Amino acid sequence: MSRGLKIPGILFLLLAGFSVHAHASIWGMPFPEDISTNGHLIDDVIRYIDKVLVIFFGAVAAAIIYFIIRYRSRPGHQAVYETGNKKVYVIATILLGMTVFFSIDAVIEHMSFRDLNGVFWNFPQGKNVLKIEVMPQQFAWNIRYAGTDGEFATQDDIVAPLSQMHVPVDTPVLLQLSAFDVVHAFYVPYLRIKQDVVPGMITTFWFQAKKTGKFEIACSALCGNGHYKMRGDLIVESKEDFQKWLDAQAAQASSPDDVWADSGPSTGGVPKDWGWKWQARI
Amino acid sequence: MPEHRQSFITKYIFSTDHKRIAQQYLFFGIFFLLWGGLQAMLLRWQIAYPETEVPIVGKLLFPENNGILTPDTYNQVLTMHGTVMIFWAVTPLLTGAFANFVVPLQIGAADMAFPVLNMISFWTFFFSGVVLLLSHYGPGGSAAAGWTSYPPLSTPVGGIPGWGQALWCLSLVLMGTAVIMGAINYITTVIRLRAPGMTYMRMPLTVWGIWLSSILNAIFVPIIAAGLIFLLLDNVLGTQFFVAGGKATVKGGDPLLYQHVFWLFGHPEVYILILPVWGLVSDLLSTFSRKPAFGYRVTVLCMGVITVLSALVWGHHMYVAGMSPLLGKSFMFLTLLISLPTSIFFLNWLGTMWKGSLRFDAPMLFAMSVVFVFGLGGLTGLYMGVITSDMYLHDSMFLVGHFHYTLAASVLMGSFAGMYYWFPKMFGRQMDPFWGKAHFWITFLALNYVFFNMLGVGYAGQHRRLFDPGAYDFIKPLMPMNRQISTAAFILGAAQGIFILNFVIALLRGPKAARNPWESATLEWTVDYPIPHGNFAAQPVVKCGPHEYSNPKIKGKDWASQTEDIG
Repeated sequence: MSRGLKIPGILFLLLAGFSVHAHASIWGMPFPEDISTNGHLIDDVIRYIDKVLVIFFGAVAAAIIYFIIRYRSRPGHQAVYETGNKKVYVIATILLGMTVFFSIDAVIEHMSFRDLNGVFWNFPQGKNVLKIEVMPQQFAWNIRYAGTDGEFATQDDIVAPLSQMHVPVDTPVLLQLSAFDVVHAFYVPYLRIKQDVVPGMITTFWFQAKKTGKFEIACSALCGNGHYKMRGDLIVESKEDFQKWLDAQAAQASSPDDVWADSGPSTGGVPKDWGWKWQARI
Repeated sequence: MPEHRQSFITKYIFSTDHKRIAQQYLFFGIFFLLWGGLQAMLLRWQIAYPETEVPIVGKLLFPENNGILTPDTYNQVLTMHGTVMIFWAVTPLLTGAFANFVVPLQIGAADMAFPVLNMISFWTFFFSGVVLLLSHYGPGGSAAAGWTSYPPLSTPVGGIPGWGQALWCLSLVLMGTAVIMGAINYITTVIRLRAPGMTYMRMPLTVWGIWLSSILNAIFVPIIAAGLIFLLLDNVLGTQFFVAGGKATVKGGDPLLYQHVFWLFGHPEVYILILPVWGLVSDLLSTFSRKPAFGYRVTVLCMGVITVLSALVWGHHMYVAGMSPLLGKSFMFLTLLISLPTSIFFLNWLGTMWKGSLRFDAPMLFAMSVVFVFGLGGLTGLYMGVITSDMYLHDSMFLVGHFHYTLAASVLMGSFAGMYYWFPKMFGRQMDPFWGKAHFWITFLALNYVFFNMLGVGYAGQHRRLFDPGAYDFIKPLMPMNRQISTAAFILGAAQGIFILNFVIALLRGPKAARNPWESATLEWTVDYPIPHGNFAAQPVVKCGPHEYSNPKIKGKDWASQTEDIG
């Protein structure tokens, strides 16, 4: 093998390596299980971009490899003087721009806007919607339900055990979040959802789980030394089980033994009455 | 300029010669590159083998904890890795070393427009680096809130004790001051000191990249400097510009304001780093393909469009931060527009190589690899630029892989291309070509293994900045891949030893370099080493563009220097 051919040889091996990877997904890794009714919308847009990447990156890589073989410097081979300023190249450039705009930008923007307007930023309303308030602190999740009066920041609010979020299956769940100390992020990979939680303001999102079970809640924004273990549990259960759990919590709600989250003297604890009046949609 | 006497101090330390300052920036940048690289190794060790003793350097760095990283040292290391790599490693290499060396020489100037300012800029930069390094030794250690240092975590209510954060702000403000001084110098030099005949449309693309990047620096670095001064006040004077919520004692602070200010600078910063690399890669591909840069004018236009767009898209870092939905959609639209000039860039790079006569010297290999890795870096940007996919992938290892492909891979490979390319002119000696290529291949393969699989584990849900990823059940199955990434990262780190050895040996006793070893057409190759203070013996007059390769009008060789009249 001549010196000039070794390089393309290695590049081919590399590309072959990438395509072996491509077997599972193009990144060699599968998505986590999707337990939400809307997560597939996010997976769809990601898979579309996967295809775009394979086609466009594949074209670039293939061109590089072809050029390395075809145009490598060797005795008797001469470069062609070509500045690329002819009209035909300008037209080709415009065509490429239009292809990129209409096959990538327009398509994914359409998908994303459609899903945001129709689903992710179209918050559910009505009686069947479960409302939850979440106030993370270093390094735990405080979770609050409205209680029987349906109002937050009242005496009968139900506060779940620290970092335990129970929700009923097949029910829209609307969350309002505000952080106690620093910026956290509420992340459930199984729901394909991530929302920053910022002190001093309320952020909102919603989801609907379609599968019962216990799933992990993660904090995905660096929030201090305990960031890596700021786990919570999302417990999706049948509507009956959820109601039973909620009733049991309500019975304890006014107990004088309430232990409130306190992460130690250095940061101080979240005050007992941390809930806020539910904010109307902005 | 006549010969003049210089003492040791004015010649080697407080020199106003742009070439000497370029060398100073180069050594400074390489030092911090190694420092930031060592921190990357520590991070990868911790992720792969949590809470075990770091081999070789552990006992030395963390004697109080038997060489094992703790959550707070881990957060310090990840913060300093990002900060050092972006601001003290690649910034001095690109807008320090290359810009200083290349801009006056390539436009045919005797020196920078403001040589004393240039010297002050370097020593301010140097001092900022000292402050940053000293922050490791203050009480409580260095900053630990990530390179973005989002408040309130980066303020006293964040629960991170010590002086680290304040010194971090201070060192960045100093660094920013140095960068602004440099930017003013480059902008002025390019406008005022071009040689006769060196029109804007005859400037090498490297100069275009550095010039546009300097404009962004001059506009946006003051913004982050202002923001960081507020953060510094929050840290040392007890103000609460960026503090809110349960821990705030006064009303009125806004954590999101900092994020806006940070990314208003932070997004242009990406282009501040990538524009010089794009220019450099375009020039190198042309030189080593023995062909003019394809569509030169369109390339310049694309660079200009990207420079403008880069200032309008910062909000895409904040899709899930709680920003107004309407703003999010506008930012998404503008962000995706960047794909147009970027794709045209690729067309022109491939067009340059097309029908060329490709010489695979080390600078060319690195330049070609930029096309490859920036292809992946740019396309993975689509996932992050779209709001719905960003909801899932934001703050994940996929994001880490994406920006390492653009910043670590593209910018670093571009920097290596530049170092191999200009070494003969900077130091008058030649680096060993075999070890240059060996360095390239190990770096290229290991780097792709590392960053590609970071994308993979992020796709599978792993989020970033975790002291022990195995604390989450859904990440446990990804741990074998995390260990593989770490192994490849260690190989990548070790391979840089080849570069350092090659660099040092060439510096001390490498073979003397010819005047123009790469047969390049730009002006810096028309002068012999050592280039005197004042650069050109006679004012060069430019008669043609920067990429006259294989022009049939040239007889006897396949290139024409910019000073040659080819009719």
